[in-house]
Amino acid sequence: MRDSLSEKFNLFFIERIPLLSTLILMFISFVPMDFVQLDYFRPLIGLLCVYYWTLKRSDLFSYCSAFMVGFFIDIYSSSPLGLNILLMLCVTTITYRLAHYFQGASFGAGWFIFGLVGLGMMLLKWLLLMIYFGRILPATEAFFNYLSTVMFYPLIVLINIKLQNRFLPQEYVNE
Amino acid sequence: MGRRGVFLIKTAELKVLARRLLIVFLFLTAFFFILFSKVDSVVIETANKAALDVTGPVMQVIEYPSRIIHRIYTFFYDISHLYIENRELRSENKQMMLLQNKVRALEVENQLLSRLLNYVPPAGATFISAKIIAESGDNFTHILLVFIGNEKVKKGQIVLGDESVIGRVDEVSEHYAKVILVTDINSKIPVVVERTRARAILSGDNTMMPKLIFLRSATDVQEGDVIVTSGVGGMFPAGLPLGFVNSIQGGEITVETMSDISRIEYVRIVDYGLTNDSVAEKSSESE
Repeated sequence: MRDSLSEKFNLFFIERIPLLSTLILMFISFVPMDFVQLDYFRPLIGLLCVYYWTLKRSDLFSYCSAFMVGFFIDIYSSSPLGLNILLMLCVTTITYRLAHYFQGASFGAGWFIFGLVGLGMMLLKWLLLMIYFGRILPATEAFFNYLSTVMFYPLIVLINIKLQNRFLPQEYVNE
Repeated sequence: MGRRGVFLIKTAELKVLARRLLIVFLFLTAFFFILFSKVDSVVIETANKAALDVTGPVMQVIEYPSRIIHRIYTFFYDISHLYIENRELRSENKQMMLLQNKVRALEVENQLLSRLLNYVPPAGATFISAKIIAESGDNFTHILLVFIGNEKVKKGQIVLGDESVIGRVDEVSEHYAKVILVTDINSKIPVVVERTRARAILSGDNTMMPKLIFLRSATDVQEGDVIVTSGVGGMFPAGLPLGFVNSIQGGEITVETMSDISRIEYVRIVDYGLTNDSVAEKSSESE
């Protein structure tokens, strides 16, 4: 009885590793960094992780997980609640569709696709915010932020692969 | 195909349908959240507060090691710059001594004039110091999350950095407060140019340099002018320093904040008794 309970708990925990790791990495990225102008280069870890897990393990990273990630980004910003949720859901939808074609794609291809998906999301967010606030917003900072996010892709992939290999054993992997 | 086979197919179809409905529901929820945010819903505010209280302790734990690393870095940086800094401080100290004498003279003069005019000074401000535990999670916004402990903080209170106003309290949960910086797009502060007393609005646009808008004439301002709060609107008291005019280019006036926002560890949340709640409390007391 106890074994079955602990097994269930383990399974529950393992299935939530993508979401939990995403949230932890995201919170780390919110830590104040007291270096001038670093804000512009703060990568969007949430976006990177949502893309990675949807592409690699969509069975363990549902739309609800993307919703949660978007919700916490909204909480730690002054943009309207729901905006980042919407964007994360869009990323999940697009990546989920792409996953069928790029399941066995090389690292470089994955990086390139992220570049396109990220750019699309950044533009969509910029447009939505301009509509919401009713004014033109500068895009320079957002562009640098996008570049830093794309540059962080290898690091996030490396961390997530390590997590995947360490905590998501073969029996749970259905790639 | 047997009855069991048909049942399994139907179950699978139902699962697909349920999944699609869930996706539609999540998208609709996001849309409703955005709409409700626009009308300042109590539900959204409550959800924000609850989420801050839940994630705040996690942020504090994560933030702690980064502070230690930063302190070690600052320690060695300070040591390497000790000689130059000491020389600068000596010359600054001389200037301060001169200023101190001037201030004393002005204070006496002020007291005398106040007595002549029968002037009643406003109530003194109270403040608390709060530690920054998180910065904006979004590239299009500029906010800070600060730990206020059990102190009473109200929405709208002014937040000061090392030298000047850096923002205002936007949301308060049990132990945390969200601060909107003057550089954020949601920030609009009535200001005056200290030299010419020309009124304007300091408007954040998500860059590090907020813009001066609604200034009557561009001749009212020049580079290096100090910008202070005007007190119009009642949210900010008059005369609090904000920054210097950094550049004037083609009608666009950018302001550099006096406090280096990216290097602040602690902020002061000041209660001048000007927030809506305070005004309401005072009026109810007088009734």
